[in-house]
This record gives sequence, C-alpha cells and structure tokens, in this order.
Amino acid sequence: MIPYAPLIVLFPLVGFLLIALAGWKYRSERLIGIVGSGVVGLSFALAVGVLLEMAALPSDARSWSVDLFPWIDTFTGTAGSFGISVGYQFDQLSILMTLIVTGVGFLIHVYSIGYMHGDEGYWRFFAYLNLFIFMMLNLVLANNFLLMFLGWEGVGLCSYLLIGFWYQKTFTGDAGKKAFIVNRIGDFGFLLGMLLIFKTFGTLEFSAVMSGASVMTAGTSVAFWIGMLLFIGATGKSAQIPLFVWLPDAMAGPTPVSALIHAATMVTAGVYMVARCAPLYALSPDALLVVAVIGGVTAVFAATIGLVQNDIKKVLAYSTVSQLGYMFLAMGVAAFSAGIFHVMTHAFFKALLFLGSGAVIHGMHEEQDIQKMGGLKKYMPVTWATFLIGAIAIAGIPPFAGFFSKDEILWYAFSSDLGSPALWLLGALGALMTAFYMFRLVYLTFYGKERFDHHHVHPHEAPKTMTIPLMVLAFLSIVGGFLGVPPALGGGHIIEHWLAPVFAPAQRTLMLSAHASHTAEYILMAVSVLIAVGGIYLARRWYLEHLDVPDSMAAKFAGLYRLLWNKYYVDEAYDAAVVKPIQRLSDAFLWKVFDMKIIDGAVNGSGWLAQTAAQWLRKVQNGVAQSYAVIFVGGILVVVSALLFF
Amino acid sequence: MLTYTDFLLAMPLFSLTVTVLLIIATEAARVGRARFSQFLAITGLLVTSLLAGLNLRESGVAFQGMIATDAASSYLTILLSLAGIVTALVARPYFEHRDAHRGEFYILLLFAIIGMVLMASANDLITLFLGIELMSFCLYVLAGFERTKDKQNESALKYFLLGAFASAFLLYGIALIYGSVGSTNLDAIARAYAGISNQPLFLLGTAMLIVGLGFKVAAVPFHMWAPDVYEGAPTVVTGFMATAGKSAAFAALAIVMIRTFDIGGSTTADVLALLAAASMVLGNVVAIAQTNLKRMLAYSSVAHAGYLLAGVAAGTAEGFAGVFLYLTAYTVTTLGAFAVIGWHERTNDEGTSLDDYVGLSQHQPVIAAVMALYMFSLTGIPPFAGFIGKYYVFMAAVRADLTWLAIVGVLTSAVSAFYYLRVIVMMYFRERDGEHIPLPRIPVMIALGITAALVIVVGVLPSTVLQLFMPAM
Amino acid sequence: MDLYTISFYMFAVLLLGSAIVVVFSRNIVRAAFALMITLLSIAAFYVLMMADFVGIVQLLLYVGGILVLILFGVMLTNRQISVDIREGAIQTIPAVIVTSTIGGILAGAIWSTAWPMREAARSVAATAPVIGEMFLTTYLLPFEVASVLLLVALVGAALIARRERKS
Repeated sequence: MIPYAPLIVLFPLVGFLLIALAGWKYRSERLIGIVGSGVVGLSFALAVGVLLEMAALPSDARSWSVDLFPWIDTFTGTAGSFGISVGYQFDQLSILMTLIVTGVGFLIHVYSIGYMHGDEGYWRFFAYLNLFIFMMLNLVLANNFLLMFLGWEGVGLCSYLLIGFWYQKTFTGDAGKKAFIVNRIGDFGFLLGMLLIFKTFGTLEFSAVMSGASVMTAGTSVAFWIGMLLFIGATGKSAQIPLFVWLPDAMAGPTPVSALIHAATMVTAGVYMVARCAPLYALSPDALLVVAVIGGVTAVFAATIGLVQNDIKKVLAYSTVSQLGYMFLAMGVAAFSAGIFHVMTHAFFKALLFLGSGAVIHGMHEEQDIQKMGGLKKYMPVTWATFLIGAIAIAGIPPFAGFFSKDEILWYAFSSDLGSPALWLLGALGALMTAFYMFRLVYLTFYGKERFDHHHVHPHEAPKTMTIPLMVLAFLSIVGGFLGVPPALGGGHIIEHWLAPVFAPAQRTLMLSAHASHTAEYILMAVSVLIAVGGIYLARRWYLEHLDVPDSMAAKFAGLYRLLWNKYYVDEAYDAAVVKPIQRLSDAFLWKVFDMKIIDGAVNGSGWLAQTAAQWLRKVQNGVAQSYAVIFVGGILVVVSALLFF
Repeated sequence: MLTYTDFLLAMPLFSLTVTVLLIIATEAARVGRARFSQFLAITGLLVTSLLAGLNLRESGVAFQGMIATDAASSYLTILLSLAGIVTALVARPYFEHRDAHRGEFYILLLFAIIGMVLMASANDLITLFLGIELMSFCLYVLAGFERTKDKQNESALKYFLLGAFASAFLLYGIALIYGSVGSTNLDAIARAYAGISNQPLFLLGTAMLIVGLGFKVAAVPFHMWAPDVYEGAPTVVTGFMATAGKSAAFAALAIVMIRTFDIGGSTTADVLALLAAASMVLGNVVAIAQTNLKRMLAYSSVAHAGYLLAGVAAGTAEGFAGVFLYLTAYTVTTLGAFAVIGWHERTNDEGTSLDDYVGLSQHQPVIAAVMALYMFSLTGIPPFAGFIGKYYVFMAAVRADLTWLAIVGVLTSAVSAFYYLRVIVMMYFRERDGEHIPLPRIPVMIALGITAALVIVVGVLPSTVLQLFMPAM
Repeated sequence: MDLYTISFYMFAVLLLGSAIVVVFSRNIVRAAFALMITLLSIAAFYVLMMADFVGIVQLLLYVGGILVLILFGVMLTNRQISVDIREGAIQTIPAVIVTSTIGGILAGAIWSTAWPMREAARSVAATAPVIGEMFLTTYLLPFEVASVLLLVALVGAALIARRERKS
C-alpha cells in the first residue's frame, strides 16, 4: 500500500473533477452520491492500509516523505532558495489525521446522500465536499508550509462556498464575508509566520525547519514571534479568541457541512498545525503559555455563551469553539498527543451531535429553535439515542470517548511543568458548563412537553442513510476513548505511544520533568466526573423538573443574561472597532480626501465625468490634469531627493 | 552590416510589422471588413508567438546592439501576443455591440504590441524610448477609440497630456544618463555602472527613468491617471493597457534596473521599495471604496504595480524571475476579468457597477465561476496564478533583505481580499433582480477559457512557466 | 569674451524670455509667436554646437512646419483668438514650490558634474553625411521605428479626424 499512499489525496480530487465536470449534466443523485462518497471511502480504505503497513514497520521508519513534482523551482539552486515541491509526508501524526478526515468525511458523505435528497444543487454540494476533502488532505499530509497553506486556504474556500450554499434561505453575504475576512486575518498571521520561518531557517520544508529548530537555542524572540504568528493563523481557522466570531455564523450552511467542516475537520486544522510545529513551539515556552491561556479562556468564554442560546446549531457551534479551546490548552501545556487525541474523539462525538441535530431539523421541518421542540424522544428514537450518547461523551462521563481525552487534557493542565492550577480551573469550569448546556439541549429537545405546533409539524425519524452514520459515530463515541486509556487506569494509551516519536524532539527541547503521582491523577479524575455529573444534574433540575428556574434566573441576572444572549456584543465591537474605521479610512480619507479633494476640490462623486462635448476640454484645462501634474512633480521631487540625499 | 542572425532574432518584430502592413493595405483597399482585420491580427499574433517560441533558446544582440533577444524577451513577446489575441477576440463582440467595430483597432493594437516587444527586448535607451512612445501613442488613441463618447475622449486626452509629460521626464533621464556615461547602450551602461553609480548626474537620470517608467506602470505617486483612464476607456482597451502595457513597462524596468544597473541593496532599490510600499497601501485601501468595477480594478492594478516593484527592488535574479512570473499571473487573470466586465457592460456604459453583478451566479453560473476564479487569483489564494506570483516576489524580497516590504505586501494583500471578495459575495450570495444578460459570444468564451485555464496552469505548474524564461535552471 | 560666448548668452536670454512670454501670455496668438522665437533660439543653439543638420531640421520642422500648423489652427478657430486661455484652478503655489525645488536640485547636479568635454566640437565639418550613414547603419532600427511611429500618428490622426459613420 505504501507506494500508493499519495493516491489518498488524489481520489477526492478525481471525485471533485468528475462531479464538477459531468454532474450538472447527469443529475443522477444515485450516481453522484456513489461517486462522491466512494472516492472518500477509497481514500479511507487506502489510509487504513497504509496505517497497518506503517504499524508493522519499526517505529523509527514510520515517517517518510514523497515528492510528487516540483511546484516552484528556483534556478539559483543554492542553499536557502525557496523552491518547493508538491510533496506529502506520511508519519504517525499525519496518517492519524488522514484517518479522521477520510473516515468521518466518508460517514458525512453518506449522510448527505439522504440529507441533500431532492436539493437543486445536489451535484454542486458533493463537488464542494470532495474538493474540501482534497484540500484538507493536502493540509494534513503536506511536507512543507506552502502546500499546507494551499490546503489551509482551500478548506477556507470550500467552507465559504458551502456556508453560502443556501444563500436563498438564511444566509446573508455579510456573514460569509465575515467568515472569509476573519480567516484572512488569520492567514495573514500564517503568511507572516512563513516569512519569518523562511527568514530564520532558509526553507519551508517541515523536516528541514524542524531539524533546524531542534538545534536552535530556546527562548529567543524569533521563536516567540514565529509561534505567535502561526498561532494567529490557528486562531482564525480554529475559531479561538479573538477570531472566533465567524464560526457561529457559519452554521447557516447545510448541517453536514457544519458537522464535517465546522466541527470535525477544518476547525481542527489550527490544532494540527501547532502540533506539527511542536518543535518550533518548544523553543518558546512564552508562546506556549499564550496558546494555553487563549485556549483555556476560549473554552470558558464560548461555553458561557452556549449556556443561553436557543438555536440548536448555535449551541453546538459555541460548544465546538469551547472544545477547540481545550485542544489548544493541551497544546499550550505541551500535551501534544492529548490534544490530538481530543481532536479525534471530538470529531466522533461532535460530528455525531451535528448530524443528530441535522436529523432533528430535518424531522422538524427546518425548525432550529429548541424552545419550539420538546418530547421528540418518541418520534425519533434512533436520533435520540445517538444524540444522547454524543452528549454523554462530550460531557465527559466515563467510559465514553470524551472522558478520556478531556480528562487527560485537564490532568496535563494541572500537572505539566507548563501547566498550573489556574489553567486546570479554567478547564474544569468549562467542563461544568459543557455538561450543563449539552443536557439543557438534550432535555429541551427530546424530553418534556411537546412545544411545537402539531398541525404543521409532524416529527419523523430520518432515513437509513442518515441514521446509519449516526449509529457508527455513536459507536465510535463510546469506544473511541479506549485508544487512550491512561496508565493510571491500567491502560496502555495507544495513541500516546503511537504519536510519541513525532513529538519526541519537542519534548526533548522542553525537558519537562516526570509527572506527579497517580493519587493526584485519581483525585482530579474523580473531580472532573463529579463536575460532569453536577452539570447534568443541574440541567435536569432546571429544564426538566423546575422549568420556572431558568426564567427567574434570567430575570434575576438580567444584565448578565443579556450579555450572554448577545454573545458579549463581540460582533458589534468588531464592527465599531475594525470594520467601520477601515471603511471610513478608505472611503472618507484616502479616496475622497487624498485622491479627490486635494487634487480636485471642484468635483464630487465618482470621478469627474463630463456631461457635454464642450465640457470635457474645459475640464481638462481647468485644474484636474494640472493637479495630477503637480502631484506627479511632487513625486519626482521625492524620488530625486531620496536618491540624491540618502 | 546586417547579418542573418539579426533578422532571426528580430523575427517576431518582423512578423508583427508585416501583419500590420497587411491589415493597413486591406483596410485601405477596403478588401475586407473589420472582421477580416481581426482574423489577420489573430493569425499574425499566433505566428509571432510561434516565432518567439522558436527564439526562446536563442540569445544575442541584433541591429548593432539596439535590441537583445533572450529567453526573457522572447517569453514576454509570447505573453504580449497572448494578451493581443485575447483582446482581439473580445474586441469584436464588444465593438460590434456598440456599432463601432473598425479595422483601425487592430492596426493600433498591433502597433502597440510592436512597441511593447521593443521595450521588452531593448538593449539601448533609444530603442526603449521609441518602444514606449510607439506603445503610448497607440494607447492614447485606443483609449478614445469611440470618438463620439465624451467619457472616452476625456480619458484619451488626459492620458495623452500626462503621458506626454511623463515621456518628457523619461527622455530627460535618458539624456542625463547619456551625459554621465557617454552612451545609451545598456551593455555600455552596465559596464560603467560600478564607477558612476554614485554620481549625482547619473542618479538624477536614474530618478527620471524611474519616474517615466513609474508613470507607465501606474505606481504611486505617478498613478493619478490610471483610475480615470481605466474607467473612461473602452473596456477591451482598458484590459489591454492594464496587462500588456504594464507588462512591457515592467519588463523594461526590470531589464534596466536589475540587469543593467544591478541595483540590489542600493539606494535606488530602497527608493523603488518605497514606491512599492506606497503603491500597495494606497492602491489596496482606496480600491475598497470603489463601486465601479473598472475603477476598482484600476486601483487594484496600482496595488499590483506595487507587488511587482517589490520584485524589481529586490534587484536579484530571483526578483527578475519573480517579476516575469507575476506579470504572467497578473496578465492572464486581469485580461479575463476585463473580458467578463466587457461582456457585462451595456452599450450605454452601464453595467460596470458592483451592484450590477448582484446574483450573477444564478443566471450565468459559468461566467460567475470564471470571474470568481479571477478574483481568487487576484487576491492571491493558492493554487491560482496570483498566489504563485506573490509568493515568488515576496520571497525574493525577503532574500534581498527587504523583509519589511514583504510584510507590507502580505498585510495589504490581506486587505485586498476585502474588495475582491465583495465581487464574489455580490455574484453568489445575493438575489438577482437585474436584467438577464445573454451568454457571451463564442470568441469571448474562448478568451475566458484560455485565461481561466492559464490561471490554474500557472498556479499549479509555475516551474514549467519559469523554465521558459529562465533557461539557466 | 569672444563672439561665440556672446551669441550663446544672447540666444539664451532670447530663449528664456520668449518661453516666459509663451507661458504667461493671455493672448494665444502672441503666445504662438513667442513660441516661434523660442524654437528659433533652440535652432541657434544647435548651430552653435556645430550640429548644422539638426539646426536646419529644427528650423524646417518646428518653425516651418509645426508652428505654422499651430497658427493655422488658431486662425481657423478664430473665435478663440481673443479668449483668455488661462482659466480654472491651477495649483500655483504647490506647483511653484515643487518645480523650483526640482529646478534647484537639477542645477546643483549639473553644476557639480565634471562634464566630459570634446575638443572636436568646435571643428567645422558637415554633419549630415555622418548622420545619414548612422541612420542606415548603427541606428537603422531606431530610424525605422521612428518611421513606424509616424505611421501610427497618421493612422491615429485619420481615425480621430474621420467623419463618424451614421448608422
């Protein structure tokens, strides 16, 4: 299998091309669905094959890189030139990510066959999804920063296309533009990071950069800034403070998209990137601290907003932001494999939750407000059961997947040399709220009184193509955690051992001391389980038994409630602090003042457009051309004096 | 005196001249209609690019050192011919629609290309100047091609007045350089450069050259004409002068500054870097405020001049290659974008406003997709051509210790996303309420196909393109 | 001070004076005539530099051709004769500042440069044969391009002047 490994990337591209070029003509849903899902399935199968063969190799031979063709050549050929190949790196980390992307991706493709049934843009949707998988695979498999950037931009592009897929329905251009612009700010950080890496190491190949990093002295400001700039990129893609605003809006897209892109894969790209650059981050504990703090704060911050939202997908969106915060918290305390482990389990249960919410929305005739649901348990038993499993998993009840990964992160946040009780507290607080809002969602949706209009809404279970992926994901959400049972519970922690060689250089640079005792670990574990149970209990009390409590609480803390309901007014603040000033700068100052007023005080509007034949000559005579000429000569003056006097 | 080699190296120029004379003759004899001229022009340009292709691996000076043919100049000849072909393809539907289709268009188009090829292969400041003038004369007239339209007249006259002004400075610069070197031959100047590069007279000459060429490429602060002229001129002409005109001027700038002067690290490079930064910032920021697509692309072209100047300011072979690669990316992308604008424009000059593009994806999905492709490329999103150009130019700048310039470039291109993507938002995420515009005619479709394909090819296989003009690899 | 130097300064004064009149005159005919004196003075400079051929060409083309054309244009559009041609917002103060600064810098640079002098410049020899030969050898290409340039000017002029077809 190994020689064919690059085909993993190629299959989805072929699928995309087939569907994009022929799909609009042969609008057979069956064929498009089979091709679209099939190519991703093929990639997944091949990735499994590669994984098995890789596992059979000795652990130091499990990493190799394949250059397909030179992308950018430089003719100088000297060391430090910026030539780059299109090449893929296969190692324990990238193959794991590939499995997540193709595996979860495959299930979501299958789910979409049912979900998108009858949609006018069926072929377009599958074409975009395939393109997305292709780009995502480029992102995780790239052996250099530039190809990773291609994937990075590509997934953003697909996300953009898919968010706006149903523009007729809910979407306004502004939200899509926000997604893209916020991501561009992140990309700007990424690009500057690349520039700085190139400046420092003279190359953009991962292997060369990382080996260069392992011999650098730690703690330099260059290392800090590389870490920071790349992290800005990560905050954009992975929706962390301060660039998280786009993700909740992105929920306007079709639900499978929310599941695939905005929960399971694309948004974890930032986490993956930090993990991939672990040797770089290891050079700067300060940068790691920033990552940890931002992650921890985001985990709590987003969870508080999630407490009061009523749109089922919005709750899940803020939950995603919060969970991504945990992953960055893990990265920040150098628990890289714990973070990747959480990426994996989160992909399972969050995809499950989103797809479950999609089934609910589907069954409720496009209703998304959980206040208008209730008692759906008896109408859609499969959805209910699987959704409940997902909720238990994310709340962190053992032995479901979420428990192991989240608990490991909390443990490292507490015990690592880079961690602290404060970071642990942030994580624990987030965990409490997560359990609370997830079960608030569950109770309001599936339990209690039926608050919907029986005359118009007839809830029904989703078709097989939708429920089967739910069941598979539910199964994974239950057992996925067993790959990472910590030694304290007598497990072997397969994931950590598997990934250990990848993060070994970073760990060597950091020289962290050994962990604290098992006793402390047991205590923390018990605390986190208690927290989860407490959150669930609270949700049950408020939303199932004493329904008047939430309202009275909202009335009692009206100010706080309004603050949370309005998402801390972050959007408004951005608009006032960033968007408006830029527009004003451009509109009022640079264009009107600099380009029009100074030069041509007499004219208003867009350029001076002459009305009659006589006027144009007059216009040319009376000032505009002269004014241009004066600026021109001023420019000459600048150039001449700069050349002569500096 | 003249040898066989002279003619061989100048073959593309001859084929262009022969073609244009043929067109003049048929026009004068009224043998064919304008369509026949279009056919002749496209054929002639195809032959020219073929001949230039044969010259890709030749190099040498011809006509007593007046022109120098090498891979870069031959490559640029191909690029210019391509721009000419695309322009000729879209010109017929555009002008026929306006009842202004004339054979003279193709005559002036080809004459302009002759001037541009001379600029790209100039080995003497005299040839360079004549090339620039030849190009500019044609563009002045083309900018006001539809004589009855005030807007075009205004555009042409303003371009002419300021252009003549700029040419005077250019010529003055050439005179000053001649005064300090004693020759206008680029080889001779290159040999003398090390000894005189700090002489005030020579620096003045250099400054004037920068000013004159800076005007042609529309770099800040010599960009004032561009928005007015780009907006006023017929859209096909705008597309042509924004791409081919800029390419030729940048080729000349790169040849003079990098090959002849070897400015790497000097004050001249710093001045160019300053102009580059100013162009990037002003072009991109002001473009945000534009509501007319032609005017927006005019400011965007100012910004692109800034990115290109960064490559020139690097002053290295990599910067040189970066400029040519960027020109390729920019030319194919912008030509396509203007082809779409020209198709969308109504006879009464309406339809170029951003609002007119609302919901285009609903009734012309293919065209909207192609336009989106161009916008992505201009924004610099991989794997499209625009990204590769930016990557190469910025990396060359970093390697030439102009990291700050690369940072400004990255920052401003992040800003540029704002206005390029607005076009996409308009086309894709809004409901259509405007009129229905029929699908473009076949020639326009061909032009869009060629440019769109190249946007992807250049983005995915830039090495192949690079090897065409950098044979030393 | 020999005759050569005297005539140089005389023509220099003439040139500058008439150029000032061109710029500042409010009467277009007067400006045109002043321009003629300017162009004549330039021709005189060429002659002083022993560039007899260029001097003659200057006389023929600019004075005999272009200026006469301008005058014809002015006379034929007779209503313009008395029009005050300087109108509209000309940004006088910034223009004066930037141009005079540049002028100062240029003068400084020219002053400080050690110009290479050619002794042979004062020998009297016919330049026309040399120029003619050069046009057909070294400068063949520029010569041809210049003629192409003229052709373009013709085409452009024809296009602009042509009567619009009625559709």
